Amino acid sequence: MALTPLEMAAPDVTQLPDQEKEAEIAGRSPLQIALARLRSDKIAMVCSAIVLIFVLIAIFAPLIAKLFGVEVRAGDPSSDTDIFNFPVIGPPDHGFTWKAPLGLAPNTGDDNLAEWLYGARTSLGIATVSTAVSTLIGITIGLVAGFSRGWLDRVISFIIDTFLALPLLLIALALAPIITLRFADQPTTLKYAQVIALTSVLIFFGWMQLARLIRGEVLSLREREFVQAARVMGVPTRLILFKELLPNMMAPIIVSISLGLPFFVTAEAGFSYLGIGIVGVPSWGQTVNKAVEYFDTYPLYLYAPVVGIFLLVVALNLLGDAIRDAFDPKTRR
Amino acid sequence: MRLKKSAVAVLATASLLALAACGGSNDSGGNDTVVPTQEAGGGAGAGKNPDAKAPMAVPDDAAEGGTITVDTVNVPATLDPTRAYYTDSTEIMNLVTRALTQYVYDPDTNDMVLIPDMATDLGTPNEDNTEWTFTLRDGLKYEDGTDVKAEDVAYAVARSFAIEELPDGPTYQLQFFQDGDTYKGPFKDKTPYKGVTVDGNSITIHMSQPFPEMDYYASFPVFTGIPQAKDTKEEYGNHPLATGPYMFEDYKPGTSLTLVKNPNWDPNTDPGRIQAVDKWVFHFGEDTAKTENTILSDTGDAQTTVTYDNITPPTYKKISADGPERLVTGTSPCTYMWYLDMRKITDINVRKAIGYAYPYVDVWKAGGEIVGLTRVPGTSILPPGTAGRVEYDVLGIKGQNTDPEKAKELLTQANAMGYELKFLYATDDPLSVAAKDQLVKGFEAAGFKATPIASTTDKIRDARTDPDSPINVRSSGWCSDWPSGGSWFPAQWDGALADLEGMPNPAMFVEKDADAKQKEILSLPSDQVPAAWGEFDKFIEETYYPAVVTGYSGTAIIRGSKIGGFYNDNVRGMPTFSIMYTTQ
Repeated sequence: MALTPLEMAAPDVTQLPDQEKEAEIAGRSPLQIALARLRSDKIAMVCSAIVLIFVLIAIFAPLIAKLFGVEVRAGDPSSDTDIFNFPVIGPPDHGFTWKAPLGLAPNTGDDNLAEWLYGARTSLGIATVSTAVSTLIGITIGLVAGFSRGWLDRVISFIIDTFLALPLLLIALALAPIITLRFADQPTTLKYAQVIALTSVLIFFGWMQLARLIRGEVLSLREREFVQAARVMGVPTRLILFKELLPNMMAPIIVSISLGLPFFVTAEAGFSYLGIGIVGVPSWGQTVNKAVEYFDTYPLYLYAPVVGIFLLVVALNLLGDAIRDAFDPKTRR
Repeated sequence: MRLKKSAVAVLATASLLALAACGGSNDSGGNDTVVPTQEAGGGAGAGKNPDAKAPMAVPDDAAEGGTITVDTVNVPATLDPTRAYYTDSTEIMNLVTRALTQYVYDPDTNDMVLIPDMATDLGTPNEDNTEWTFTLRDGLKYEDGTDVKAEDVAYAVARSFAIEELPDGPTYQLQFFQDGDTYKGPFKDKTPYKGVTVDGNSITIHMSQPFPEMDYYASFPVFTGIPQAKDTKEEYGNHPLATGPYMFEDYKPGTSLTLVKNPNWDPNTDPGRIQAVDKWVFHFGEDTAKTENTILSDTGDAQTTVTYDNITPPTYKKISADGPERLVTGTSPCTYMWYLDMRKITDINVRKAIGYAYPYVDVWKAGGEIVGLTRVPGTSILPPGTAGRVEYDVLGIKGQNTDPEKAKELLTQANAMGYELKFLYATDDPLSVAAKDQLVKGFEAAGFKATPIASTTDKIRDARTDPDSPINVRSSGWCSDWPSGGSWFPAQWDGALADLEGMPNPAMFVEKDADAKQKEILSLPSDQVPAAWGEFDKFIEETYYPAVVTGYSGTAIIRGSKIGGFYNDNVRGMPTFSIMYTTQ
């Protein structure tokens, strides 16, 4: 995984003649080259379009819901469900209706589309925040560990190893009831506390891989001439870290972000499915949990969130792969 | 009696899991499908027949042999006859250990009837019900061929006092039997128990106070025979000596139980059981969806498979279309209630307003109950089928027609608009969360402030039974031990219980006139007692309204197509195992 800037900047032998013909470009940064490669990758573009759509859905969930005339968690069980607790309009027993494009949930009569839209919001919101924060932590710790020689490096490496050894699922399982009971009598606080707790747990367990990666990069870069030169010139350590070293590590960082996002999306859904995530707000994982027993009597109820998770995760993963390929000529297909 | 394990959790989760049943009066939806609903007030074993004759006839359509498989999500904690108190463990043990009396299904009335078991009749009380004498039949044998002696039954009774070594069993003997408060069981106390005397083939139980309903209590597995020499104390539940038609072949606690024919059981001594199949296989802790789909598929072994778990709405829909004859519905003797903390909610108008505001059907449906089937609306504390039950409706809303306007009116009268209600729910149970959402919505619409207090399925029982919990209503319920108010009010509505550990009196109901009335009822002649309990039920709800009745439990269970004798035992809300067989 670890690449050196030299390898990345190395001219791509198969493509170079074409590019020279097209335009005479004097100098391009590795980032520019990678983006150019990315733009010519059809899969990558389709995937970014899908991701973009999901992002728009997440941002404008309330507006879209209003557009369809649906409302989140507004079902009335006694008037919206029949004697079998199945919805009285829409699937599975009645035809399609614009009143509830994805149908109503059995038992509660809540609107599935509204739940799905807000679920996308929860999912992407938590995944984005977790990725951003864990990336920042990973970079900082990785830089410090790699650049400091001796005991500090050893201590940080030990901490990283310790965190890698902690079981994510067990910690989340243990933490959920503690949070619930701590904020038991404050319903509003509890809602936020659960979101914050879930995000914190994901961040807590999301930074180590990147930190290790960055540390390795720094180790190989810090003895290079441009770093030596900077030190001889008396550039402060802080500047060396952020001005000299960091720009050379954009590739692994971007790759790590693009692979971290889908991981956090699945993790959030998984935790909600297990009932240890968030319960106050809509979430795909929760809907899947409730819909499992309806897999053959009311498949749409289950498929909507499953397709949502599936599309988003596949798109993010393929996009991540494409970005990695674009940044690393050695893995070109 | 306690509900089977999972049902206890359901009660514990309180208001959340209320499943609603709206009988025929459900106005929701335009579905024309005819669905089976429960008959109003189906009996719950109030009948008795001391003259039932052995042997019980095996039906003509019964096949020779075969195996019946029972899959369930429940896990019986123990199968020790002394400790079996959950509805499922007592029903299972009814196949293995015979008691002094038993219930048998009466197809004519669709009801359970109390008949003799190991005893020749239903017992003979003395004049003031302080001594009960039972005479054992001849020819009773254990699975190893030895005779069942009256001494063994006396030992089993003495053993039931060892609640420290053998906890969780029924405890009426402590309250009613002689020396119940001092005798600690045969393990600690080496002097023989004086409350039971044996004379040849008959045993006499001496009471410390009148106990007119001993014949019902004698049907618990506690009153079987246990030879003292073969008692292995805590280990005994792993292989209790069989006196019934089946005996343990293999028992893996928490996982499975296999029963095979007991060759020493004589049908001529038993008026209530048959021995048609060769084998019973119980699988405990099975996934509900898997169990339901197995029985729905009805292929191969699934044709002789049953479950005693109530079905979920999607399965109800499928079975109503595919094979309604394989669905058995009926009553089970439990009432769900919202116990209002009388010490915190002191104004009766506020308490009644809660009753008007409670969004009955919404909560039931959101909690996954099938209204009219697994949850039946009701207003009396005593469930249908209880002897002497009085049907009344304090609020006039039939236990299901929520009336937020009336609630607001009462709140204004009490000058308590915005009264804060605090109740528990479990965050890790989606049904509980959905029901909580409906409660909040319903109560806010009626002028209350609803504050749900979060808990988890593991902790909610502790939180509910803690007198210091920051809640002012408790969602729970109660089930009959036998179909009379005698197993209801002294156990939950006695002022003396109000401050005890575990909150046996969840409404903190302490009223001098009510306590006095209870004392009076207990001293009445036995034939007047049930009716007096029915009136007492009406009296406390009319005078104090200490609890919102949130419906009765119902039974809705399914079987494979080659099972016969599968009826609802409405004393326990379980299938009638003792008369089941496989068909040809």
